[in-house]
Amino acid sequence: MAQAVAGAQPYIPARARADVARKVIVYLALLVIALLFAIPFLWSIATSFKTIPDSVNVSLIPHPWTTSAWRSIWHDYSFPTYIKNSVFLAVVVTACNMFLGGLGGYAFARLHFWGRELLFLAVLGTLMVPDQLRLIPVFVMLTNWGLIQTFKGYILINLVTATNLFFMRQYFLTIPKDFEEAAKLDGAGYFKTFWRVMLPLALPAIAALAILQFQGTWNDFFWPLIIFGQGNPHLYTVQLGLAELRFTYSTLWPEIMAGSVIAILPILAIFLAFQRFFVSGVVSSGVKG
Amino acid sequence: MTSAATTAPVSRRDSLFGARLREAGWGYAFVLVPMAVFGLFFIYPFGYAIYISFFHWGILGKQGGTIWFHNYDLLWKDPIFHIAIKNTLEYTAGVLPLEMAVGLVMAIVVNQNIRAKNFWRAAFYFPSLASSVAITTIALYLGASDGLINHALGTTTPWFSTAGTVTWAIVVLNAWTTSGTVMLFYLAALQSIPTDVYEAAAVDNTGTWRTFWKITFPLLRPAHFFVMVVFGIGALKVFDQQFIASGGTGGPNNATQTAVLYIYREAFQAFDFGIAAAAGVVVFVIIFALTLVQRLTVGRQEPL
Repeated sequence: MAQAVAGAQPYIPARARADVARKVIVYLALLVIALLFAIPFLWSIATSFKTIPDSVNVSLIPHPWTTSAWRSIWHDYSFPTYIKNSVFLAVVVTACNMFLGGLGGYAFARLHFWGRELLFLAVLGTLMVPDQLRLIPVFVMLTNWGLIQTFKGYILINLVTATNLFFMRQYFLTIPKDFEEAAKLDGAGYFKTFWRVMLPLALPAIAALAILQFQGTWNDFFWPLIIFGQGNPHLYTVQLGLAELRFTYSTLWPEIMAGSVIAILPILAIFLAFQRFFVSGVVSSGVKG
Repeated sequence: MTSAATTAPVSRRDSLFGARLREAGWGYAFVLVPMAVFGLFFIYPFGYAIYISFFHWGILGKQGGTIWFHNYDLLWKDPIFHIAIKNTLEYTAGVLPLEMAVGLVMAIVVNQNIRAKNFWRAAFYFPSLASSVAITTIALYLGASDGLINHALGTTTPWFSTAGTVTWAIVVLNAWTTSGTVMLFYLAALQSIPTDVYEAAAVDNTGTWRTFWKITFPLLRPAHFFVMVVFGIGALKVFDQQFIASGGTGGPNNATQTAVLYIYREAFQAFDFGIAAAAGVVVFVIIFALTLVQRLTVGRQEPL
């Protein structure tokens, strides 16, 4: 766009000057925004290597440099357990969403059955039911079924989301029908067609779903707090453990910052590796937890 | 196909019906588990929440008979609930314009002809993806009375534990984290504007500033509406930041009470599920009404 505007007026010096000014403003803006975005992260990493008295000093360089906060959250504050729990829940919930979201999305996109449109309307309707309203009834139901304070309870209510199913359906709608017809001629059944033909074709969508769901479950604080939060630390996720650490030792900044880095780091790694999936997934599904 | 139909018309129709039945059967099988999850944990709770709100409902379930709207009456008379709603609306009214403005500016900046475009986009988007608990604890650290922000400003205000500042501190914090996602939506919208409208503006010698306000901004209307609805509803759910900042108490002086925190506290600290469910219903009605108003005013022509 900038090129188009500049290209239309190449010989007018005032324009050229304006363009230079514009470039300067743009790069200045970039720099300021980037600094605002980077400083908090750098600050937390630096602090995690500081001593407590040093943690109130304004300096990015720890003095003295120490790994005691890291050792302490590892050995004294059960972070290995929290990490294990978070990874377990995120992996299981993501796998369930990939499979069930794909399966349901495929059925709504391609298979014909009576009442399909009505059922799909119900799927979209779930997007209108906010967590504020669901919280109490879902908690009461899980309590009645003995699923409070269990991973099972958390996984059950997160087996598949309407957003993921909708996202997969939209993707399946864009795949030409020829592939399925070819599979049908080869005598493949419906499940085999889905599993062997359609799912591999939907790989970009499945990958975006997986990454966003993993991120969402890893970061989830609200539902783990509701389901595991009533004093059962061996079920805590990283987010719950970090909140607990902050509540109990409010000025143990090096340890708290080390915990924050642990809470952020896996998502940063996944983000750096799969950046384009994040961007495409967010824009096309249009929802961020 | 036709030859098969003429040679064996009856069995063909039978098998056609059989095939449709089989397809429908597989269709139901494929959507069974998802529909069960949605039915049990979204649609049924909708009615169940209203049911619970009509009872005295404690940790052991309902006590006594229907009390109908008594819980709603209690809510209406509870000043803390009013504060929670007021705080939530205030927060939303503060954060929404800010994240839209910052998101739009960032989208325009990264949409320019700059080096390492993808790097900048990624860098600005990342805070949206990072854990809200971690981001909030980092913010508490930076905003503490002896933290970086106070060092920079030469003040000693603990921004997140002072009643008068905490809402606005959380507004700034959440605008900072979510504007990266807003940027992505604006970026997609900016890129879908055809370039010839800009070429026409350039030929007419329209200035950059005027081009933006007269052409770009109005053409972004669907994006404005979308962001307003999605992020507006998101803002009304605010909970994590206030919970972390106050240690789950809603203090100081109820400044961090939000609608969701109120529901949480009624249920898990006061063990009054009836009132908590009633509060959930009221919040749902507010969200629904606001979405409707927004759709009728700003987004009249936009199907969503």
